Amino acid sequence: MIQRIRGELIKLRTTRTALGFAAGVAVLTLAIVLLTTLAGDPKTVADKRSALAVGSAVSALLLVFGVVGAGAEYRHRTLAPALLVAPGRGRLLAARLVAYGIAGLAIGVVMTVVAFAIGLPLLAGQPGPDLSTSDYLRTGGGGLVAVTVSTMLGVGVGTLIGKQVPAVIGTMVWIFVLEPLSGLIDHISKFTIGQAETSIGGDTGGDVLPWGAAVLVLVAWTAAFVIAAAVVDSRRDIV
Amino acid sequence: MDRRDAAPAIVAEGLTKRYGPVTAVDDLSFEVRAGAVTGFLGPNGAGKTTTLRMVLGLARPTAGGATIFGQPFAALPDPARSVGANLEVCGMHPGRSGRNHLRALAALAGLPTPRVEEVLDLVEMREAADRRAGGYSTGMRQRLGLAATLLGDPEVLVLDEPANGLDPQGIRWLRDFLRGVASEGRTVLVSSHVLSEVEQTVDDVVVIHRGRLVQSGPIASLLTGEGVRVRSPRADELASALARDGAEVRTEGDVLHVQGRTTDQVGDLAFAIGVPLHELAVEAASLEEIFFRLTSEQDDEGTAP
Repeated sequence: MIQRIRGELIKLRTTRTALGFAAGVAVLTLAIVLLTTLAGDPKTVADKRSALAVGSAVSALLLVFGVVGAGAEYRHRTLAPALLVAPGRGRLLAARLVAYGIAGLAIGVVMTVVAFAIGLPLLAGQPGPDLSTSDYLRTGGGGLVAVTVSTMLGVGVGTLIGKQVPAVIGTMVWIFVLEPLSGLIDHISKFTIGQAETSIGGDTGGDVLPWGAAVLVLVAWTAAFVIAAAVVDSRRDIV
Repeated sequence: MDRRDAAPAIVAEGLTKRYGPVTAVDDLSFEVRAGAVTGFLGPNGAGKTTTLRMVLGLARPTAGGATIFGQPFAALPDPARSVGANLEVCGMHPGRSGRNHLRALAALAGLPTPRVEEVLDLVEMREAADRRAGGYSTGMRQRLGLAATLLGDPEVLVLDEPANGLDPQGIRWLRDFLRGVASEGRTVLVSSHVLSEVEQTVDDVVVIHRGRLVQSGPIASLLTGEGVRVRSPRADELASALARDGAEVRTEGDVLHVQGRTTDQVGDLAFAIGVPLHELAVEAASLEEIFFRLTSEQDDEGTAP
């Protein structure tokens, strides 16, 4: 298993995809923090936490990263050579999940460093109560959990669909159209992927579950997609 | 030990693959001798790649199965060191260099990284190895695919149309490469739709057409029995004697084309009846002709009412 994870990590490091998403995350984080602190004028603890809670938006991006990465295996037909030296689709998928989890976490660290490096000095100049250690933990640590699990969820989605472009489009539609629409129905939206990520990332705005429950919901979504992907992938012919 | 007596390296039994109403591979059974180079031949669309995908666990057979050294491919204890395979379905990420592609595969297989440099040397690709694969020519991709098959220094090589897209120089290189791996005693199963590419290299052939087995066995068995060409000033006399003896004879002036008899048998018969011979030779049709005949026979069967 270790060797498969090593192989998947080499794959991740040797294309520009992960680097591109890391750069995208840095820019997105910078933009969110600057907008919410400079234009949003945060004064309350909740506002200030929101300014640092970039994990929610970044999670959506890293979900797409996982989808792109898993979908690329089908698009560029790189599954066959891997399976010919290391048979066992389930084990390969598990290794890819771990590798993308590690990559998601690493990109999450970039996100947290950028958010805190820019956000903390800016927030220090704002009036109102200061954030406590638990607030920093919730936004920093929670953000890392959200982006890591979301990246793995993306791998599940990309593997399940097995075609990169439809998988990416489907994910975008799901996240940015269908899930927001679920807000129209009472008590449903907090169980969506997006709202779970929001809660885990430390943002308390909107209809969200408590942190622990949100983690369970996001993990459940991930497990559901990964299990479905494993079942479908084990029956799929490599073409 | 004679390799012919050894257990076969690959056994396919009743392999069948249906896609809806289309039967791509139809109850296909064959064996690949250990230590031999076997040509897996058939026209494009005959079902060669589908068969190889099923043998290597990349596609699920609708019926039947295949084993390598007695086990399904996925159950081999050390697959990368047992079998190296390059199929048409093996791709490369266009943004990843050839060297990194191989490094990832070596890691996945648990093979040491320095092995990557060795296989790059074997396929003479070291210089281009750091370029992104998206810019590689078909020939370079084929070489890198071959490099990947050699990573585990495997006993069995399965190569799917390795000559596709190669220029004449590349084909010559491939031929030398195949001779090299064959001389090391490896088992090779190489598919091709162009017989001349493999004719000089293979020991055995498995010919399929429309997903069905047409012929399998040593390549010599395909060539022998093809017929005897005999020229005689008393051809008619010899033709009747041969016909009485049960041989199939076609007359063309003073030349007879005899089926079902060896040159020895024809020569002996001519001597026995006192007919002089001016020429006696094995009439070896080219493999190409045999191939077309075999496959068109099946076409005829397929279209018969």
